[in-house]
Amino acid sequence: MMVKSTLTSPIKEYLLAFADDEHLMGQQHTEWIGIAPFLEEDMAFASIGQDELGHASMLYSLVLGDSSEIDGFVFNRKPEEWRSCQLVESNHREWEEALMRHWCYDMAEDLRWELFRKSSHPELVSISERALKEEAYHRRHAEALVENLLSVPSSKSRLMEALEKIIPEVLDLFSPMPGEEDAISSEVVSGKYCDMFPVWRTRLENRFGVLDPDLFTGIDDVTRTRRHSDFDVLFNRIREVFLLDPEATW
Amino acid sequence: MRIYEVFLKTDGKEEFRHAGSIEAATDELALILARENYARRAEGIHMWVVDRKNICISDEGFIDPNLNKPHRHNDGKKVAKWRKSQRDKKNDG
Repeated sequence: MMVKSTLTSPIKEYLLAFADDEHLMGQQHTEWIGIAPFLEEDMAFASIGQDELGHASMLYSLVLGDSSEIDGFVFNRKPEEWRSCQLVESNHREWEEALMRHWCYDMAEDLRWELFRKSSHPELVSISERALKEEAYHRRHAEALVENLLSVPSSKSRLMEALEKIIPEVLDLFSPMPGEEDAISSEVVSGKYCDMFPVWRTRLENRFGVLDPDLFTGIDDVTRTRRHSDFDVLFNRIREVFLLDPEATW
Repeated sequence: MRIYEVFLKTDGKEEFRHAGSIEAATDELALILARENYARRAEGIHMWVVDRKNICISDEGFIDPNLNKPHRHNDGKKVAKWRKSQRDKKNDG
């Protein structure tokens, strides 16, 4: 019989890293509404961002035990309390960078959810099943756009340049997370995320060709406790409306 | 870029209805973008996208002559009336 594991503080911190990544990725995607290169794409990109915000909300709700606590928790946290990775915090304002980040992130996201499919926590099993269904379309979207753009030489060189900038940040996404060992030993998750990295790299090199091996060195294991230099600006944008009246009930 | 027409079928309905159009570079992108633009809030359960160039459009007035052919509108009332009279005659006899 499956026993529902208790979510200890380290496990909550581990799940928070996933929720924070999903939240900030969703936030950054939805900021393209109205300004993506063409109308259909700005709607699609923002819609994909909303899916990620939905995943974040389910994870925050699980960690906090109550969905009504999410806003207060998220908006009032100190930067050092966030557990997001550099990839989702950095400010990529060029479309080719946003698109390559979407490709890289979504080609990594399903590999992360897969680790929860046999979780000892039943709620995580159902959240992961739901997310995996949505992620299949995120990957199709990223693949279709990238495949089409790679066939145009000038677009291809812009994408490849953006990719080289983003790969070091993807390494940070896969770096060990606080609480990961506890989550594995209590079978909340079935393995280390960094062990999935070779699968991601194979997807990457199947799509873009073999890349300079030097791009893949230097996984750093302390990054999730320090914020990217772009974080403050992003965090202020997220809280812009909230800070007008922090006591308001929405 | 090509223009695609998007059709959606809602649950419980027989027909696909025109939802709108979309501009996309390939069939795959047309499907994916139509999904996010026209069906992201459960507006349907099946979707078609059709490249506009594949729709055969009739000339102006092509079907107009068919608008006034009352002799083709047989609602069966005359036949029903005749059959009823036959039944009534049989019962009376």
